[in-house]
Amino acid sequence: MRLYPLLFLLLLIAGVLAVLVGSGDLTDPDLRDTFLKLRGYRLAAAFLAGAALAVGGVVVQGLFRNPLASPSVLGTTAGASFGGQVALLAYGLAGVGSGFVVPEMIVPIGCFLGALGALAVLLLFLRVTQDLLALLLTGFVLSALFLSLSAFVTSIAQETWELGRAVVSFSLGSVSGTGPRQLSFALPLIGAALVACWFWGRPLDLLLSGEEEAQSMGANVGAVRWWSSIWVSVLVAGAVSVGGNVGFVGLVVPHMLRPFAGTKHQRLIPASALAGGIFLVACDIVARVIPSRSEIPLGVVTGLIGAPLFLLLLIRLRRERAYA
Amino acid sequence: MRSGDGHLAIRARQVGVTLGGRTVLRGIDLEAKPGEVLALLGPNGAGKSTLLKALAGLLPYEGRVEIDDVDVADLSPRKRAKQVSYVPQRSLLRSALSVEEVVALGRYVHGGSFGGMSKNDKDAIDHALETAHADVLRDRVFTQLSVGEQQRVLLARALASDAPIVLLDEPTAALDVGEGLAVLRLIRTLAARNHTLIVVLHDLADARSTTDRALLMKEGRVVEQGPTRDVVSAEPIRVVYGVRLIENARIGFETDPERGAT
Repeated sequence: MRLYPLLFLLLLIAGVLAVLVGSGDLTDPDLRDTFLKLRGYRLAAAFLAGAALAVGGVVVQGLFRNPLASPSVLGTTAGASFGGQVALLAYGLAGVGSGFVVPEMIVPIGCFLGALGALAVLLLFLRVTQDLLALLLTGFVLSALFLSLSAFVTSIAQETWELGRAVVSFSLGSVSGTGPRQLSFALPLIGAALVACWFWGRPLDLLLSGEEEAQSMGANVGAVRWWSSIWVSVLVAGAVSVGGNVGFVGLVVPHMLRPFAGTKHQRLIPASALAGGIFLVACDIVARVIPSRSEIPLGVVTGLIGAPLFLLLLIRLRRERAYA
Repeated sequence: MRSGDGHLAIRARQVGVTLGGRTVLRGIDLEAKPGEVLALLGPNGAGKSTLLKALAGLLPYEGRVEIDDVDVADLSPRKRAKQVSYVPQRSLLRSALSVEEVVALGRYVHGGSFGGMSKNDKDAIDHALETAHADVLRDRVFTQLSVGEQQRVLLARALASDAPIVLLDEPTAALDVGEGLAVLRLIRTLAARNHTLIVVLHDLADARSTTDRALLMKEGRVVEQGPTRDVVSAEPIRVVYGVRLIENARIGFETDPERGAT
């Protein structure tokens, strides 16, 4: 079966299931509309976040020439999450930003700055060493750093009950509370960044051969690095602002797609956007149907799939010595 | 003949390169003209590859590199790559791109950002694959090829850009004798099509058989420069390498005319 018809079929199935599956009772006519509406937002949020994270994964894998890279592995997601928390805190305690943007924009802007900061540190580090393990370790350290900083922010936020709740629920991450206003900000942001990434596809292809060869073939390597980092930061910020800190989507989805869509970015990016969306919608359905006292966070489901795959990939790459 | 073939000279004036505080190249002057193959020779560490990279604009350098009297430093990466293509010794590509996709990368300098390939792009890719005798490899995965096959594909990638000046970094290193001869013959073919070629070579016999002029380097300076026959001669070779040159002493090889290119 061709790739795109298959993906659209999967999207259709996932979409229908996402609307029908859940703990709410759809036979009650009074509640039905509300349930359907909420599940609709949830479906849209999961799809958007999945598309953004998958394409973010494709781009950082090209940028760092490393199939193990992904926004969560490299600490970009954690950076975005931390940035969002700081923004929430600054807005809640001191009203920072209330003068020039609407409240719904505060979190995405914070997420963007956090993600960009995390990527900037990585790119600076890359000038010192190109080693695979060093890169992954730096990402790990960044993640750990942002996690502990997040704990600090959370502890400050506890001083006010409302703010504390907002910060904690944001950092746990879920698409269940996403409303139309958040979506209406995230959609154009993610949409624009997806298109931008597609436009940078050809220079990203060149970069797969390393900086020197890319430059010799006419790529402006500095510009490719800088702009790709911006687009990835926008994607991750958009994803985190609607779905919280969800890991491994950017690792799992491109890896599953490459055998079918190839390596060329202008083919891989649209396919990954679609597949990433489907993947996260499916994970969200799984999170809803697994019996538990409260709903399982989405990041737990993606983590359970992504972490073993990451280890398998690492072992295989080390064995092939392709990325020693 | 394709429109991009030939007709540009490249000239270096007082080119110097300092890497990490160490002077690697100093005061290099050279010129290569259309239809001519210039060899860069010298022992390991002489600075041949560094010079080639400076000419390709891949390293910061002092002095001037000119293409038909235009300072290369004033050109954007894209404009420069339209005029000069560079063939590395080995590619760092590790992703599973097909040979055709790798050669298509060479067309970046001509394309917009949109994904589709124009008729012109496709023709250039076909022509480059054919010239480099790599058309049979078209659908293979680049990383699964032998070193010699990869070298031919990298050459095709450079040719696909239609750049009239081609710089090659030790194109025959790590190739077996048949593959090496095929690459050397290809270099002569390009010269006959009026390309300007600068080639880093280790093998002095290859240099004598294939190149027109040579630059003999030692410790970042030019020791001797001129027709290859004069540069690869007893005295300069003794001075630079500390070995004696024995004329007509080595056994030689040539491609079997009945089997053609490998």
